[in-house]
Amino acid sequence: MIMKSSSSPLASLLPALAVLVVLALVPALGPSNRILSLAISAGINIVALYGLAVLFGQTGILSMGHAALVGVGAYTAAILARDLGIGFWVALPLGSLLAAAVAAIVGVPSLRVSGHHFVIMTFAFGQLLSIVLTNGGAFTGAATGLDLQLPVTWFGRPAGDLVPYYFIVIAFVAISAVASWLIINSSYGRTLRAIRENEKLAASLGINVGRHKIGAFVVSGLFAGVSGVLLAYFFRHISPNQFSAFPSIYLALMVMIGGARLLLGPIAGGILVSFLPEMLNLDPVESRILYGICLIAVILLLPNGLIAGLFDGLRALGRRLFGSAPRTTVPADSTSETA
Amino acid sequence: MLPILIQQLLNGLSIASVITLIAVGVTLIFGLTGIINFAHGEFLMIGSFVTWLAVQAGTGFVPALVIAILAVALMGLVLERGLFRFTLTRPTNGFIVSLGLIVVLQHVVILFFGPNQKSIPRPLSGVWDVGGVRIASVRVMVILVTIAVVAMTFVMITRSRYGRALRAAVEDRDTAALMGIPVRRYITGVFVLGSALAGLGGALLIALFPVTPFTGGTMVMKGFAVALMGGLGNLTGAVVAGLILGVVEGFSAGYGFSEWTDAYSFGLMILVLLVRPNGLFGGTSGPKMA
Repeated sequence: MIMKSSSSPLASLLPALAVLVVLALVPALGPSNRILSLAISAGINIVALYGLAVLFGQTGILSMGHAALVGVGAYTAAILARDLGIGFWVALPLGSLLAAAVAAIVGVPSLRVSGHHFVIMTFAFGQLLSIVLTNGGAFTGAATGLDLQLPVTWFGRPAGDLVPYYFIVIAFVAISAVASWLIINSSYGRTLRAIRENEKLAASLGINVGRHKIGAFVVSGLFAGVSGVLLAYFFRHISPNQFSAFPSIYLALMVMIGGARLLLGPIAGGILVSFLPEMLNLDPVESRILYGICLIAVILLLPNGLIAGLFDGLRALGRRLFGSAPRTTVPADSTSETA
Repeated sequence: MLPILIQQLLNGLSIASVITLIAVGVTLIFGLTGIINFAHGEFLMIGSFVTWLAVQAGTGFVPALVIAILAVALMGLVLERGLFRFTLTRPTNGFIVSLGLIVVLQHVVILFFGPNQKSIPRPLSGVWDVGGVRIASVRVMVILVTIAVVAMTFVMITRSRYGRALRAAVEDRDTAALMGIPVRRYITGVFVLGSALAGLGGALLIALFPVTPFTGGTMVMKGFAVALMGGLGNLTGAVVAGLILGVVEGFSAGYGFSEWTDAYSFGLMILVLLVRPNGLFGGTSGPKMA
């Protein structure tokens, strides 16, 4: 497995920050409210995707119940606001911590069982959570869910409108990107990658594989909790089916389409999946069929995700155009499958 | 109280029959290929819709059931040849492909037939009254058909030549191939067999309840819960765990906790895996990858 970040760690952060600066300029173009809402919900997903990318891209374990952790953040925000009058900025760390705690509770038993089973366990916990939320009576608002009335403020000024909220979300996307960049380039990140590449070898080097896997899951829970609080304050109404099995599948889909190992992957996946149906003018049913086909195509043809595939394709093209001795016997797209 | 309890038990067992059919397919496919096929529930749902279409077209239930089995088996064949065989060396990719398939299959069905529930007239409408217990004959039919089919599968795998070859391939794919077993053909065969079981399960399910395009999702989760409880890759385990789930769901509905029914399969699974990470009967960890 060839890692691209071998040149300079900083070089991998710059493209992501550049993209974010461009995205922060979007409101100046005077986009419609619809575009801005789509962008905000894409940004909220991207925050969770960065957590999922640490888990899947670095550690190599996939969570299919991630929307449930987002849900923990969202319900924490809504319940804190309703019962204690605690607002957005305090709910953020609390929701994040609670989602991480739930991830730990889920992770300890789930990671006792290996590989495949973990995926199913996370899926099952996701399902269980939405059943619990549905049967939670008045405390969780049952199947209809909860409303959230507290306004979002920024230094005493209201910031709940689309444009200010867009900036808040972009800021959190930037924080998530930097946080995951720090994780990737730390010794902790290297440990996680060692586990991904060869679990037994990592264990033989004295790495506590189980504890690090749970740790990675808890870290991804932190991201998911933040995303959940952002989501609750954006939609102002949350219900159990927003956090059930299918939202989890879509999160996994976004991270797969964008590519989990690159810093730009979550941004690309989140934006593509949110905006593609809008651009192609598809109804929800058609767009979901398209997502599914995209996911299958990406997995079979570009197992490292779209962005990495794009780079590989460009590099292959460059070799064909400028490289030495073009081998005509090798089909052009075979190089993109080096996984 | 007792008659109601027995009725609920029968209800629980009839649903558990369908779940067991999924679990058997899932466990067989996992054992040989290591692929966790989450789209198996959608195979079942499509089996239900094919049955519904056939009955709408005027055929009886039995021909409709046969058509459903054949149609889903064919779909399994096409998907294995077209998609899953490319993921044999990387089972995680196979799992993700199956997630994509869930989304595609579900929404293609919605596109053509709408999201509303579909039902067929009960193929058997008789209700027997045995000492105050009202027994719907359709439920008994579902349970008996499942027992027969699972028993056939079991005998085929434990007694026949092909079953022995299959078990050899599960144990060690490469050595089995060296012994002249056409492993690739067996993989396709198991996929088709599992799909056919899902098709049968779908036909039986719509005989019991109305079916929506979303039915597959919950059913496959329960199927996996059962397969994991028994130990993935272990056929006996899947059947026994299916039985346990049926009894538990039946009793809980009988005692008035029906809103928690869906939680039992997952709760039981988590409990079992906590105590025995490889399931009650010990599963395989899938084919050994080089």
